[in-house]
Amino acid sequence: MGTKFIKTICPYCGTGCGLIIKVKDGVAVATYPDREHPVSRGSLCIKGWSAHEFIHHPDRLTSPLLRKGDAFQEIPWDEAIPMAVDKLRETAAKYGGDAVGGLSSAKCTNEENYLFQKLMRMAFKTNNVDHCARLCHAPTTVAMAQTLGSGAMTNSISDLAGAECILVIGSNAAESHPIIMGEIYKAIDRGATLIVVDPRKTAVVQNAKIHLPINPGTDIPLLCGMMKHIVDENLHDEEFVKARMEGFEELNEFLQLWSVKRAAGECGIDEELIRNVAKIYAKAKESAIIYCMGITQHACGTANVLAICDLAMLCGHVGKEHSGIYPLRGQNNVQGACDMGALPNVYPGYQSVSDSAIQDKFQKAWGAELSDKPGLTVTEIIGLAGKDIRAAYIMAENPALSDPDTSHVLESLKAFDFLIVHDIFLTETARFANLVLPGSCFAEKSGTFTNTERRFQLLRKAIDPPGNAKEDFAILCLLGSALGLDFSYNHPGEVMEEIALLAPAYGGIRFDRLERKGLQWPCPDSDHPGTQYLHKDRFTRGRGLFVIPEHTPPKELPDDDYPYYLSTGRMFAHYHTGTMTRRSPFLNREVEEAYAEINPEDAIHLDVKDGEKIKITTRRGSIITTARITKRVSKGCIFTPFHFTEARANMLTNPVLDPVSKIPEFKVCAADVRKESQDD
Amino acid sequence: MVVAVWSDKLIMLEKTKDIAKQILEEKKSDGVLGLMKSQWDIVQPHVFEKPEELDALVLEPKWLLAKLSMSILRSSPEDYRLAVICRGCDERALIELTKRNQIEKENLLTIGIACSKEQAAICLCDRPYPAKLDAGEIASGVDPFQDERVREFLIGNDKKRMEKWANVLKRCIKCYGCRNSCPVCVCEPCKLEDDVWVQRGAVPAEMITFHLIRAFHLSDTCVACGACQEACPVNIPLLYLQLSMRKTLNEKYGYEAGLDPERKSPILSDFLKEPETGREYPEWINSLREKDGH
Ligand code: SF4
Ligand code: SF4
Ligand code: SF4
Repeated sequence: MGTKFIKTICPYCGTGCGLIIKVKDGVAVATYPDREHPVSRGSLCIKGWSAHEFIHHPDRLTSPLLRKGDAFQEIPWDEAIPMAVDKLRETAAKYGGDAVGGLSSAKCTNEENYLFQKLMRMAFKTNNVDHCARLCHAPTTVAMAQTLGSGAMTNSISDLAGAECILVIGSNAAESHPIIMGEIYKAIDRGATLIVVDPRKTAVVQNAKIHLPINPGTDIPLLCGMMKHIVDENLHDEEFVKARMEGFEELNEFLQLWSVKRAAGECGIDEELIRNVAKIYAKAKESAIIYCMGITQHACGTANVLAICDLAMLCGHVGKEHSGIYPLRGQNNVQGACDMGALPNVYPGYQSVSDSAIQDKFQKAWGAELSDKPGLTVTEIIGLAGKDIRAAYIMAENPALSDPDTSHVLESLKAFDFLIVHDIFLTETARFANLVLPGSCFAEKSGTFTNTERRFQLLRKAIDPPGNAKEDFAILCLLGSALGLDFSYNHPGEVMEEIALLAPAYGGIRFDRLERKGLQWPCPDSDHPGTQYLHKDRFTRGRGLFVIPEHTPPKELPDDDYPYYLSTGRMFAHYHTGTMTRRSPFLNREVEEAYAEINPEDAIHLDVKDGEKIKITTRRGSIITTARITKRVSKGCIFTPFHFTEARANMLTNPVLDPVSKIPEFKVCAADVRKESQDD
Repeated sequence: MVVAVWSDKLIMLEKTKDIAKQILEEKKSDGVLGLMKSQWDIVQPHVFEKPEELDALVLEPKWLLAKLSMSILRSSPEDYRLAVICRGCDERALIELTKRNQIEKENLLTIGIACSKEQAAICLCDRPYPAKLDAGEIASGVDPFQDERVREFLIGNDKKRMEKWANVLKRCIKCYGCRNSCPVCVCEPCKLEDDVWVQRGAVPAEMITFHLIRAFHLSDTCVACGACQEACPVNIPLLYLQLSMRKTLNEKYGYEAGLDPERKSPILSDFLKEPETGREYPEWINSLREKDGH
């Protein structure tokens, strides 16, 4: 066997960069950038360049494992599949189908997500299907659907380079979405103004023209203050508002509460600066807003997104090139997992489970009776373990590290009667499983991922899964068939054909059409070229709707006992729960251990030096980690990434939920910090 | 006119295919590394092993293959021979790699192709053709120092230029793409992975230690292919960083990387043995000259 080069898609973030994997004698030995890729055009970030490194790690799961007491025992597939099916069926028979929960995966392909939700919905007549989008962009889906009619990035990544003003709120794109950051620089080189709203002095901030270091959790006051000024000075796009919007009167009335002065007081930013920023954003010919977890991971996450949509619509910066609203999606296929209906309230294509016409359509197509009752979310499925939910099937998700208030999550994972975890490593979550199914990584399967700009892209199989591990698609087909469903698909392409029939927005998606550059949905029929930007002459919901963003301060603010703001997030070399990146030597060498960032003034006060151990405590628990002293965080704030199993940031985070989208408030909680004395 | 350009390109492509076919048929090499266009118009590097596969060969876009050739040869049996379809910069990079014992000369064959005038203008290339040209016509190159953007970064007010550089270098996200894609950047262990110079886990990478170490390590090997700059996700004009050093070597020592396979870099050789023309010794070297009996 010689050397082969296989084009495929990066398994890390939602940018969806193009990779070329070099395969030598069946082993993935190197990764190169794809010069012809429409988004990444021959560049990659450090994670993309290292994408092959974890694939052949000795920790990969190579056989199904069955729990025997405290240990796992390897078993063959022809025992594993019947056992999984029996246990799930038993549970459903005893407690009803709604006692079974499924967590699908933003790391898996569209076809796998489609099959997963189909399996849960058909076999158990339950809508208890969700995935980690709940923990990142659930507010986006809800708020953008309400205001615009579609919960996805309105424009394309390449559009950014042509914007005149780019407003970044709560996104550290330079570390989390570096290739998108490249487009921002292109815009700056052409004269665009970059304005960044972030309590931290991130790498994005260092390249901004204007930085607004707002108090954590005061995005709504800032955005409302800006809107108030815009309306007062007549800087908004009156024609656009008249022709295409509804709800302006109500919004305007609400804005009367938000004088620039009040806004300034709440967010700790100079009045003049707020006015100036409002003017720049409103008056630019094309303005884009980019936001990320800094907006969504709050108990008022949905309202935050509403405020962003209101601002963009008020100024007419939606529905045209180079402008729009850019929620940056985290996981490589979190967009796709949502699109495919791995959500408790919708079928593929965001079609409501409670709508009887739609229920009918799916019942006919699938030939099974389906439930019209929306299911439970990630946090509920885990939280109700052993109570309402007796058995669960978790595919390639790691709630033991990713969900808030870890101690409770760990308790819950033990409480299931039967837990099936399907993954590529024995993750922190898989350790709690009764049955572990060894799946495939991105290089070992075909299918599609949808990136953050709605682009369906082809994943091409480069090598075989290790040992007895199987392609995820094959595992789902085996389980489905064993459950008596007609899951006799030969290839993921056939699944895509079925999806196209059932979800109008993806009606024109076919594997052969995706070969060259992929296709951006909506793509309703096989001649449709895909959609570069949404809401062109008409919003998806018809008219755009201004919705009032009610401000609720963070649920837990610093007080005497817990005097610091604690915020969590990602850093450039690692990804999410670190399952892949920490097994990648080049990435792990960059950062081998957990750390927390502390402002120099606080460090003096706490008598902590750089590199010393500190203990961070919140009302949920405490972790010991290493101090990094830096002005990137303001005085009174601490930041810690959540990639590290030995210092789980989510031991600390507050599980309070946004009432609408049910996202937990990862971004703010109150904490205490102490120097950890070396000798105890 | 347009038709003529196209047909020139077609002629070059057909000729390259013929040469490559002949090489495979006569078993002069075990594989030919080039670009393959699939049924769906997807272009990617490919090792052609059978003559009939070569119908899918294409020459565009510019896609540098020198570093891939090296990695293929290194991971293949000792007697594996590879032919590489290469542009001017690719050929020069391969020559540097053989000079530095990274590739065995005997295992490598090149099929040289010429770049178009347009390509040369995009690359700021002054020599858009290989020394061993097998297909295509030589087009005129450009002098990079006439380019306005280059001049902004390299000529004139030091303070302003420093600011300009600092401004772009602080964008670096430390992807290591510049290092990874540079065909002549091959030291092991890499200084950019040395804690003494480059702090782990910190972005942006420090200006002096990261970027200047990289640039200086390549000062006499850089063939100005632009791969570093093309790989940079944040549009740092990394090629410009190399141009001044290339120019100095050329002016002071009449040396250019990748041209003469026999000539050592002046940095590696003994100053005193360098040809007289155009060279300039630093002051302190006079004492050495005396010792050496000059
Ligand atoms: S930016 Fe995202 S998709 Fe692109 S290489 Fe990096 S991790 Fe992969
Ligand atoms: S231009 Fe850049 S990539 Fe090319 S040889 Fe010089 S330093 Fe290396
Ligand atoms: S390619 Fe650009 S961003 Fe990447 S390390 Fe080099 S200079 Fe930095």
